[in-house]
Amino acid sequence: MMATGTVLLNECQKRLIIMWSYRFNFMLETFMIGFLFVGISFFVSGGRPTPEQMAPALLGYLTWFYAVFAISDMSQGIREETQTGTLEQMYMSPLPSGLLLAGRSVASLFISTGMVALVGGILMLALGIRIPVRLAGAPVFALTLAGLYGFAFFMGGATLVFKQVNALGNLLTNMLLFLNGSFLTVERMPGWLEGFARSLPSTQGIDVLRSVVLDNLSLASVWHDGSLMWLTAHTAFFLLAGWGAFLWGERVARKRGLLGQY
Amino acid sequence: MKMKAAIEIESLSKTFRSRGGNDVEAVSLLNLTVEAGQVFGFLGSNGAGKTTTIKMACGLVQPTTGTVRLNGYDVLKQRGQAMRQIGAVLEGTRNVYWRMNAWQNLLYFGRIKGISSSGLLKARAEQLLRELDLWERRKDPVGEFSRGMQQKVAIAAALIADPPIVLLDEPTLGLDVHASRTVQEWIVQLAKERGKTVVLTTHQLDMAENLCDQVAIMSHGKLLAHRPTAELLDLFRREFYQVRLRGVVDMEKNGVFPGFAASQENGHTVLSGEVGDDMSVFDLVERARTAGMDLISVSPGEPNLEEIFVELIERAEETVGQDGGLERKAGHRPAGVRSRG
Repeated sequence: MMATGTVLLNECQKRLIIMWSYRFNFMLETFMIGFLFVGISFFVSGGRPTPEQMAPALLGYLTWFYAVFAISDMSQGIREETQTGTLEQMYMSPLPSGLLLAGRSVASLFISTGMVALVGGILMLALGIRIPVRLAGAPVFALTLAGLYGFAFFMGGATLVFKQVNALGNLLTNMLLFLNGSFLTVERMPGWLEGFARSLPSTQGIDVLRSVVLDNLSLASVWHDGSLMWLTAHTAFFLLAGWGAFLWGERVARKRGLLGQY
Repeated sequence: MKMKAAIEIESLSKTFRSRGGNDVEAVSLLNLTVEAGQVFGFLGSNGAGKTTTIKMACGLVQPTTGTVRLNGYDVLKQRGQAMRQIGAVLEGTRNVYWRMNAWQNLLYFGRIKGISSSGLLKARAEQLLRELDLWERRKDPVGEFSRGMQQKVAIAAALIADPPIVLLDEPTLGLDVHASRTVQEWIVQLAKERGKTVVLTTHQLDMAENLCDQVAIMSHGKLLAHRPTAELLDLFRREFYQVRLRGVVDMEKNGVFPGFAASQENGHTVLSGEVGDDMSVFDLVERARTAGMDLISVSPGEPNLEEIFVELIERAEETVGQDGGLERKAGHRPAGVRSRG
């Protein structure tokens, strides 16, 4: 327990220190992400975005922001640490690599939450968007994030083996922005695309989150209509598959000597 | 007195599959024991298998066969305990975070190495930074340091949990003379004053000769030699001779000393070379006398580690694909260099 707490704090501290050293880039990125939301909302609404229209979009957009952080941390972050040799140093720790990975994910979660609060807060204040805080939204949000991190583990495992998978990570995060229903609900997509969009991480989560937070539906009602059940199954699949893929990636990387190769 | 083994490598092999589907044997049935408290030099050309062996010892590469034990702990089966025995600085990478300062790096790596006491960790970090003359600059990002200082931070990070075994893969690569000397002095100090086992891979053979108590020479994944450095030098000292003859002698014509290099010095002929397996130095002297040469002196030469290394590698190159190396040719003597008649 002690080791777990130390590892989590250690990873958070490291991420914050490194992020602070890139503070100028982060400020620009934050501005860009805020600007991108306003720009897309403007075009999607035919030039007349209203706070009511933008609230569901912002909810999806901020969830996508978590996806960007989680995927980038696991693919780009692991690749960079492979190049600097710090990944090998991490694997020489007597602590289990799963614990270090969990610490890394929790650190990413904390930092992205801070960034989401900052970007979301500024956008809500500036554009008059109102997203109510509902307790029922918490488990749905947690399930959505768990699925996203499962997908990020999958990307991490792939990065350990295929060093060029970074480009795929970028492609997927951009795809998620347009297919997770943030700006265009999945019901309005053509049937074949809706199926694909629903299979992606975060799409189902955003859908249920909107029902619970913005439409004020209870957890029981979203469970009975099957959407929460589908989200739970979806998350379980991504978590298990992602964790399995990461363990596979570790095993293959050790076997092929890839932990220090890039 | 039998020394305690810090590293025990048994039947260690690693075969990588290339992209073309061919198997490349990086390390082949390696058996090696490194005694505790020694500076051990692991030498070999590029691609000899040194780094793969080091990485297998660090648990970063999974062996195809065989085991590595660190102070008795199996790296694969008792990973946690085994990892507490080592600190490593690996070749060609930063090993530490350049965006963080030296102090932050040491605290970070101390925690992931399992040090849970904050007081102990900070005391240890301060001690290391002071010893390495980095204390005054502990709050500067490592990326702003000179190459030598960065390497010192990497070594300090490897030592933060005070491991009994330190693996240093090319620790002086890219360092200037002064920084290299500082690192070398520290390596000696680690072994002699603190009883640590230091395994060193390097291409700087003069450094290995000066620092290492024992050396192992690898080529094509196989062990060519493993001996105390002094013993290895002594063995070759007995094989290399310098023969001094009065006057200028045309060596090409008489053929008495095949393979010896000839030079002229103050009107005398000086021959340097190795006595072959099939004859002794006495045979050579006898031959010289029979040929009517005026022999002034015969003395053992003073080979250095570099000459021995080159000699062994050349022999290994000649035997690759025939019987797999000199150890085997010499009758499978694990610590032997070559057989002598």
